[in-house]
Amino acid sequence: MRSKGLAVIGLLVAASMILAACGTATPETVIQTVVVEGTPMVVEVTAAAPAGPKMVTGSFGPGDVPTIDPGLSTDTSSTTIVNATTIGLSYLYESDATLHPGAAQSWDISEDGLVYTFKLFDNIPWVKWDGSQVVKVQTCPDEAGATKDRMLTAYDFEYGIKRALSPELASDYAYVLGFAIKGANEYNAGEATADEVGVKAIDDTTLEVTFLEDAAYNINIIGLWTAHAVPKWLIEGDDCTEARGDRWTEPGFFQGYGPFTLKEWVHDSYITIVKNPFWPGTPDIPMPKLDEVKHLMLDEVAEFAEYEAGNVDFSHVPLADIERVKADPVLSAEYRSAPNLCTYYYGFNTKAPFVDDVRVRKALSMAIDRQGLIDNVLKAGQEPAQWFSRPGLVAAPTMADYPDLGIKYDAAGAKALIDEYLAEKGITAADVDITLMFNTSSGHQKIAEAIQQMWKTNLGLDIKVTNQEWKVFLETIRDPVATPQIYRLGWCVDYPDANNFIREVFIEGGSANIKGGGGISWGAGDPEYDAWAQLLLDAAKERDPQKRTDMYAQAEEVLVDTYAAIAPIYWYTSSGVTKPYVTRSYAVTGHNEFVTWDVSK
Amino acid sequence: MGRYFVRRLLWMMLVLFVVSAITFGLMHAVPGGPFSREKALPQEILDNLNARYHLDEPLVVQYARYLYDVMIPRFSLLEKDPDGGYIKPIPSLVDDFVIRFNIGAVEFKWMNFGPSYASRSRTVNDVFKQQLPVSFQLGMMSLGFALLLGVPMGILAALKQNTIWDYLGMSVAIFGVSVPVIVLGPILVWIFGVSLKWLPPTGWGSQPPYVLGLFPSNLGPEFFKYAIMPSVALGLVSSASIARLTRASLLQVIREDYIRTARAKGLMERLVITRHALKNSLIPVVTILGPLFAALVTGTFITEQIFGIPGMGKYFVTSITNRDYPVIMGTILLYAILLVVANVFVDLMYAYLDPRIRYD
Repeated sequence: MRSKGLAVIGLLVAASMILAACGTATPETVIQTVVVEGTPMVVEVTAAAPAGPKMVTGSFGPGDVPTIDPGLSTDTSSTTIVNATTIGLSYLYESDATLHPGAAQSWDISEDGLVYTFKLFDNIPWVKWDGSQVVKVQTCPDEAGATKDRMLTAYDFEYGIKRALSPELASDYAYVLGFAIKGANEYNAGEATADEVGVKAIDDTTLEVTFLEDAAYNINIIGLWTAHAVPKWLIEGDDCTEARGDRWTEPGFFQGYGPFTLKEWVHDSYITIVKNPFWPGTPDIPMPKLDEVKHLMLDEVAEFAEYEAGNVDFSHVPLADIERVKADPVLSAEYRSAPNLCTYYYGFNTKAPFVDDVRVRKALSMAIDRQGLIDNVLKAGQEPAQWFSRPGLVAAPTMADYPDLGIKYDAAGAKALIDEYLAEKGITAADVDITLMFNTSSGHQKIAEAIQQMWKTNLGLDIKVTNQEWKVFLETIRDPVATPQIYRLGWCVDYPDANNFIREVFIEGGSANIKGGGGISWGAGDPEYDAWAQLLLDAAKERDPQKRTDMYAQAEEVLVDTYAAIAPIYWYTSSGVTKPYVTRSYAVTGHNEFVTWDVSK
Repeated sequence: MGRYFVRRLLWMMLVLFVVSAITFGLMHAVPGGPFSREKALPQEILDNLNARYHLDEPLVVQYARYLYDVMIPRFSLLEKDPDGGYIKPIPSLVDDFVIRFNIGAVEFKWMNFGPSYASRSRTVNDVFKQQLPVSFQLGMMSLGFALLLGVPMGILAALKQNTIWDYLGMSVAIFGVSVPVIVLGPILVWIFGVSLKWLPPTGWGSQPPYVLGLFPSNLGPEFFKYAIMPSVALGLVSSASIARLTRASLLQVIREDYIRTARAKGLMERLVITRHALKNSLIPVVTILGPLFAALVTGTFITEQIFGIPGMGKYFVTSITNRDYPVIMGTILLYAILLVVANVFVDLMYAYLDPRIRYD
């Protein structure tokens, strides 16, 4: 009996393997008439190209996309979907970080530079996937029973922005809007009402936004995903729509208005966006060429295996495979490393022993052979960082224009500085007791050990290296007493302006300069700090691009050289492989946008 | 038997209560909170988040709130809609119950495991509903594979002790134990997925909705071609320990007096083995089946990562690194419940396998 059972199972397994080897049928396009919310609709269906739908598949990394709610998104996978399914008033080209009109076709700026009046396109409809195709969302029937298309209006933006700022939603990114929009922080902190926020829809196509400062980055911040429009009728319900509350982003409910819209989201497994055929195509955002973009949720190693098996069209390359990819004639042609707007750095606790002297900090920074680190340890074409604000950001200095700005590898100069310090203090290198801490990860460990060796070789200093689990580490580096002398951190772009880097991170109260916290003990009252903070505020308001960049260059010089509060290490690149039949753009902003992508198979 | 069950049930409740209290205490004792980020959040934002998730309350209150949300069924009255129906509250992630329905104006709600802090569009209930079935399917298949391979291998090795069969079976067992999934998995993916292209390298063949909330709705070749590699990789390790246990236990039982008695009274050797020896020798195997079942059906982090399987396993790990408190509590409690229930079944199996054991 037992052997029979085994035989049957064996047969089943064999049969499944044979069937699995058979090719899958190409899906056919079915033309359907549909009924949307009780109303029959005529839907234009474009005839499918003979080759079938144009589709690309990629991967986001393991774990579910945390959210596709514009107000709540913070990470790359979330913003990839959010920026495809909804767009902001302004629109950032992900390939070069230039700013273009988005849902607003134009805007006027008041004399004092504080009030922006946006003129919206009036032909962008709200759409949804109804299970078989993309359809336009309809308004509630009037007395005669007729419905109209719901069009994107200024009121949707006003609602979206105020919802993102509401204390009840508790959005992580409310502070980015609060940084720029009048009354936003107060509303978010529960000290003012929603009406006091400087965002007001005048009519369907006119939106007035009042900012705090006459700053160049205002237009960038208002285009950020946190300030996208969301469908009030779907979230809160109206006469003909059931309220979906926090669940409005689930597939089946979701409504959007971008060049793509959500088709499927099988949590933890994959998410698919589909071309919105009703996207009107604006001068800056054309109709997408792709029909569908699918993202799996795989670990890099699994993703690369799928790429090699031909099931994924563009993929990250695991560090262990980079050498093989570069050596392989086929894969090397498909490999490319592109800039990514992030910076990797070591911060100093400027109050702690030894590193409280600027000469020590500078010597440590100068003794790091950044190019050597990239060539021998990182290997993915990263760029050595001489300052903090990643080139490619608006107004950030570039290596072409400022080749000598900031800090460079200079072993002899570093040794001279440290010798001067040791002589003055009357101590030897053996007396110097400095600890470098990073969050537990094999990648950070390799970097830390390589730099530890450079310090040993170039300065003769034995620096201790230690690590902590990520969240414990974050507590430690923000503790006034426990902050280690040197700690690892990184920063990635929210909106591509130098202001988002050097100012938001290092001014007092910024992410790496927390009041009363550890890290950089540099704050108001210190005349050098005050001058530096004023320079950054002036730079934010400066209209002349060249002058603005010059001002940021000055500020960077102070940060990494004169005061040497941090040691910048490298600027990120994202390296990946793409199948030759995919025409694509490369994102410097972190998330891919698929509007200009195409496939030819 | 009835009294035995009641006693076991009460013990189970006590065990679960202690597990939940220890888990809650430990996770809050670890430094770092769910909202500590590389980009430090301003205090106002942290205040809003803490208020939304009641993290601003004293720990004792938070723990009481958790127990109340999970355990206590509650009723509420719905307001009447002008159209004649009842106005249902707007769906909210902080107010999401596993069981929620209304009869007329009376709404019944039970078991709210809380929202996930890391996935801001999901709750722990969602994770249970969508990821547990996947882990269950993979776990059952690898357990089945482990038993089908391990038990016969162990029996064969014991009956043909010190022959080529014994050495062969035990070599396979040692291979299974010493080659972990983290090595075997990528090798299988490389051979069958990437090079031969016989099987999809990653992914899972079924997706919600599931039959009875657990079983795949498309149980066919399409399902098995995804399931076969991870089931084999995961099952091989367990099959190795099952084989060794079976062998050791059977070797011991064969030397017992009652086996000699059975042989002496002239029973056929086949009957001696199947009726008397085998049944008794399975007791140690059944003992490890309880914990093994609980471990396999709640998912395994490494296997899921290698084969890209959307199961529960990764939540056991990522919830802790994220300090995602409700997910930590939910996953640990789920594991604890499965473990104690599985152990009750194991105890019942003892009574069946060994006539000397009775529960009165």
